[in-house]
Order: sequence, then C-alpha cells, then structure tokens
Amino acid sequence: MKRFKIKVDPAVCTGCMRCMLACSWVHSKRFSLSGAMIMVDASGAECSITFADGCIQCGSCADACFYGALAKQAPEEVMP
Amino acid sequence: MTINTGFSGAVLHVDLTSGRTSRRSISSETARDFIGGLGLTFRLAVDAVIPGIDPLAPGNPILIGTGPLVGTGIPSSSRVYAVTKLPATNTIGWCGAGGMAFGCNLKYAGYDHIIITGKSDRPVYLDIVDDDVKLRDASGLWGKGVSGTIALIRQRTGGRGGIAAIGQAGENRVLFSMAYIDGVSTMGRGGLGAVMGAKNLKAIAVRGTGHVEVSDAARYKTLAAELAGTIRNYPYLKEWQQLGMLKSFPMVPPELYEKIKKRRIACVSCPFGCKDLVEIPDGPFCGHTASSSSVINLLMPIVYGFSDYREAIRLVSLLDEFGMDMFEFFGIMKFAAELFAQGILPANENDPPIVINSLSSMTAWAEKTAMRKGAGEKLANGFAGLLAKYGDRAAACAPALVKNMHPYTGPDSALPWDLFGTMELGQITEPRGPHVGSGGSPTYFAKRPLDLFPRHLERMGVPKEAIPRILSANAGDKPGLNVGTLLAYSHRWFSTLGSLGICARAQVNRFYNLELCSALYQAVTGLPTTPEQLRLRAWRVWSLYKMLNVRENAGLNTDTVPQRWVTRPGFREYVSEEPLEQRQVQQMISAYYREQGWNVETGAPEPVTLKRLGLNSLFT
Ligand code: SF4
Ligand code: SF4
Ligand code: SF4
Repeated sequence: MKRFKIKVDPAVCTGCMRCMLACSWVHSKRFSLSGAMIMVDASGAECSITFADGCIQCGSCADACFYGALAKQAPEEVMP
Repeated sequence: MTINTGFSGAVLHVDLTSGRTSRRSISSETARDFIGGLGLTFRLAVDAVIPGIDPLAPGNPILIGTGPLVGTGIPSSSRVYAVTKLPATNTIGWCGAGGMAFGCNLKYAGYDHIIITGKSDRPVYLDIVDDDVKLRDASGLWGKGVSGTIALIRQRTGGRGGIAAIGQAGENRVLFSMAYIDGVSTMGRGGLGAVMGAKNLKAIAVRGTGHVEVSDAARYKTLAAELAGTIRNYPYLKEWQQLGMLKSFPMVPPELYEKIKKRRIACVSCPFGCKDLVEIPDGPFCGHTASSSSVINLLMPIVYGFSDYREAIRLVSLLDEFGMDMFEFFGIMKFAAELFAQGILPANENDPPIVINSLSSMTAWAEKTAMRKGAGEKLANGFAGLLAKYGDRAAACAPALVKNMHPYTGPDSALPWDLFGTMELGQITEPRGPHVGSGGSPTYFAKRPLDLFPRHLERMGVPKEAIPRILSANAGDKPGLNVGTLLAYSHRWFSTLGSLGICARAQVNRFYNLELCSALYQAVTGLPTTPEQLRLRAWRVWSLYKMLNVRENAGLNTDTVPQRWVTRPGFREYVSEEPLEQRQVQQMISAYYREQGWNVETGAPEPVTLKRLGLNSLFT
C-alpha cells in the first residue's frame, strides 16, 4: 500500500468531517468520529486539523475532501 | 425485528417532569414503512401528540429525528428534524435544520430519534453521551443568548458533539423563536424555541462515540463513489463553494463578500458548504463575527431598507443571539408600526418609534420583543396574538398572512420572486405555515422552459403517467403548468429526501433522483426497496403529516389565500406571467388535494387513500 504525507490547509476547511468518516471506514468498515485518525475541530474561527498516531497515511481522508483542505503528497516524497 | 444498519435502531424517551429516560427499539417494519428521519418522526408523533394539546403545555412533545443516511458520509446527508405542535400556527409542523454535528452524533450515540415530553421544574439541558443520558442544571445558562449558551456547553464537552440551543426569545416563549443547531442552522420559525422554553429546556447536547454500519458495503461503496464523482465534475461546484447562497441570490457583489468572508461552514459530509462565518472588516462594528445558515440571511435587512450591510449583519446576529426568526420579526415590526400609527396599539413613552431601516430602533425592539418588555410583550405573541387581541381593526392593516405567519415570498414579503410556482403555492398548503422548504421543483428557477421539466420531474420521482397532467395545456393551445398537481410531487420528493436525511436545497437536490435514493436506502439499511416502493412510502409520509393536522382540525380550512397576493401588483402566473387571480389559486389548491388523494372540501385524506397507504388503522 502506498503511503502519503497529507498536506493540510485549514483555511479552506469547512468542518464537514467527511475526512473523519472516510478514515473510520478505512479502519473499521463502519462510520464513526471516534474511530478516525484525523480530527477536525470546527468550533473556532478557523478549523483545526490534527492526526492521531494511528494514522497509516493511506490518503483516504484527502480523497474524501471536497474542498482541497487535504492534499496527498506524492508517495515518493515520503518514502523515497 | 429490530433494525441496526443505517439506523441506530433506537428512540430515546426523555420525560422532563419525572427526569426519567428510556431507550426503545424501532422495528424494521415501521422503519421501512415510514423510511426514517422525517417520516418516522411523523409516525412517532401519531402516538406522542395528544390531539388538541396547547403547544406550550407540558404535554406537547418535541420529537427529533435524523435519517438512515445521516452519518454515513453520503454527500449532504445531514438533516435533523423536529416535529411538535407549533404555537405560531397551532398546527403540527416539521422543523428542519442541517446539522454540522448534531445529527451524526445522535446516530453515533445510538439513537435515531428523541421524544421529549413533560416540563422540568427548573432550567435544564439534556446531555447525551451514548448511554449516559442526564438532565443537567441550566440555571447558569438561562438568560444567555444562543452563542453564549453553546460556548458554555462546549467548554464542558471539550468542543465535541452537537448542540441544539435556544436564546432568550425561546425562554420567554416568543411565538417566532427558534432552536439553533450547532449555533448555525435554524430550526422551527413557528416557535420551536418557545416550546423548548416552556419546558425549561435550554439545550440538547449530544456526543456519540459509537458508529453507524451499512448493510451492503460493496454496493454502498460503488454508489457513494459514483455520486461523489458526479459532484466533483459539476462545473459550478467551485462557484457554489466560493459564493454559497449568493450564487442563487446575489444580494451583494462578490468582491464585498470576499471582504467579509472568514470561512464557509458545511453540514456533515456536504460538498457545498452553504453556511457562513463572516467578520465585519471596518466601521463601528469592525471585528464583529457572525455565523449563519446563510450569508443571505445576514444581509436580509438590506431588503427591508438597511443601507449599510454592516448594520444588517449586526442586527441579524443580535436576532440570532436572542433566537428569533428574522423574517417574522420584520413582518411583526412593520405590522406594529402600522398599529401604532392607527392608534390601535397604545403608544408607551418608554417605547421608541419603530423605524424599520434603523439599526438602533430595530435593536431596541429586538430586545423588547425577546425580553417581553413594554409593547414587546404583545409583539412577542406574534401575528396570532396581535390579531386575537385587537380583532378586526388590526386585521384590516395586517400584511399578507398564511396561518397567521408572514410568508417568505410574496408581494409583502422579503424574497422578491413574483412568479407563482410550487414554492409559492406550497406556502399555503404546508401545514406548518408559509415555508418554502418543502415546495421545491423546477419552478425554483423563474422562467425555466417547460420542455426542461420532464427530466427534472422524473428525477423527483413523478410517475410517468402524471407528467402529462402536470404539463397539460390550459386555455387553448398555450403550454401550461399545473402548479397544484406538481406541488403534490414536490412534497413527496421532499418527504423522500427528508426521510433519508438528505438536504433538499437546490444545489444538493439536483444530484439525487428516486432510483439513487432507493438504491442508497437499500444498501445502507438492508431493507429491500424499489423506486416504486419508495415513491409510495413518500406519499404515505406526507399524507400522514396531513392526517396529524386533520386530527388538529387543520384540514383545508387553514389553507387560505391572502387577498394581497391576488391584488395587483401581486403574484403572476408562472407560465403566462399574467396577474394571478384568486380563482386560479383555488383551482391549484383543489388540484393539489385531488392529486394527493385528499378530499377537496375538507382537506382530509380520502378513506381510499388511507387504505392504499396503510394509514387507515392509525387514526381510529
Ligand atoms: S491518511 Fe491517516 S487520517 Fe487519513 S484516512 Fe488514512 S489513516 Fe485516516
Ligand atoms: S478537511 Fe476537508 S473533509 Fe475534512 S472537515 Fe475539512 S473540508 Fe471537510
Ligand atoms: S447545502 Fe447547505 S444546508 Fe444543505 S447540507 Fe450543505 S451546507 Fe447544509
């Protein structure tokens, strides 16, 4: 499996949490917020996006984001 | 059999009087028959609502529901519905909101619905964390505005989860007070806030650490990927994401919007993010931030004569803080100004003059109304209260009203559409009062050529055989549109989307069709569902809604046409653009009832309709 570093741009994040749902699906084939390795907190003026240690850098969260707030960087940049 | 895919499978019952809570499961048959979300909430209301109940009495329940797709990541599956008897109209109404976090957290906590009954003897908020359900003391929140309440609760919850809260207007039972979901989406302009306030219920906070499962993962994945792909390829996606509702209603130039925009806010899993966080960039309110269900709402006072957009934003955030509907507020203010001018409402030296386009006057009156101070005490009772108190003299100077509420669109209203399409007619036949949310159809866009209609109608689930009835010629060989007949299907399509949990706003709605909805529903819930079956269930849902209101004696008798709408310059007919006549609207209403299989004299669903829909045994 390819691994990607995820570049985040919180300024364009809308707090939709679709990335979190995509991540929980990858890990458990179920949808939850608690099972996501990416955390989006949209309660402030700007969203904050953080990753938990369990992130396997699969890139599914970035694939799910409609707003360009998450971008997969080319795999070789991470694991040459 | 209970159900646990798509659905969480349970209803949380909360009795505020005794403080007792319980969890009851939902049978898969009931879930299937009423789809879920909006439809299932109506079904639960059949048993929970005591017919004839006073909306502000402890016995009036609040039912909250969220659909089987909510929390699954399907685009724009975010909707949360409340059903209660609304004080502004005295009818059973749905109140809907897009949920940023509320709906999905409710699902992850293990519930599709909450039924709240009774009244607490002191201010409380309902705090749900999975199975741990508590009524917590809200004395420190009582008297606070919406954002203040949410901020304090978030301090306790660490910012996680969803919150529905009321402001001071709800506490003080203002008839047009609302609940606010996650501080951004509004819910229930007919007085859901007042119903919560009357129960001493300041807020509902919910956090769920559980999950939602889907029944057929492979099928789900294919459908979800196709849909996401279609949306990504939509040529106007970027523009929607940048402009939000300004795209369909350009109230201010895009350059100005760029100046005030802090960020867009999206409901859970929505690609369009039509909600807004803005900041006033200069002037006396420099640095003031406001979040809203749409920037259009924040700017709406411009339509009422405000010349400075910054003052408009300031006023609407104040109304949002108190928790009052802006449209109804302005309607009431204009009416009150007239009542004062005529000497019908006695002037009080402590009450400043009402000046509709003045921030200081409107600020003072917003506070008086929300707090029931001075003449605000009377204005807080809405049109219904003022008309009941001042009788015929007041009625003579009232604006166009439907079910004692101020319509969104029409000759005396804020939204300037004057062609009479389904949303406009729907304001009359909608049991909850003049709302446009359920009446969407291709007439949403004025002057859309009729030859583009069939494609949209098929998408909305209109059966092929009904299309000629909708697009039949009237008056000779001119092309025609039977708005009343079409509205029956607008309501069924709204029932479909609302029951699944999908947002019905035009930018979202366009990507869904009946086939996709039934396929998604089946994949997620595991309940076998053909498009034909879903179509029937949606008709059942809206007819059940009607029956709930017929039981409250609100059949056809409350569907009155405001005279102002048919007095020139009033509404114009959608196709011919000729001035609309009373007779034509009455014909549309009859056509609507006929198409629904409801009696054109009384408004009640016909026995044969109830039998076909399997609703006959519910109301015996
Ligand atoms: S990259 Fe990390 S956070 Fe993103 S979906 Fe994969 S595991 Fe989750
Ligand atoms: S990063 Fe993208 S998918 Fe995640 S919450 Fe923000 S906008 Fe939504
Ligand atoms: S279109 Fe707007 S209201 Fe509808 S789900 Fe998306 S963000 Fe929410």
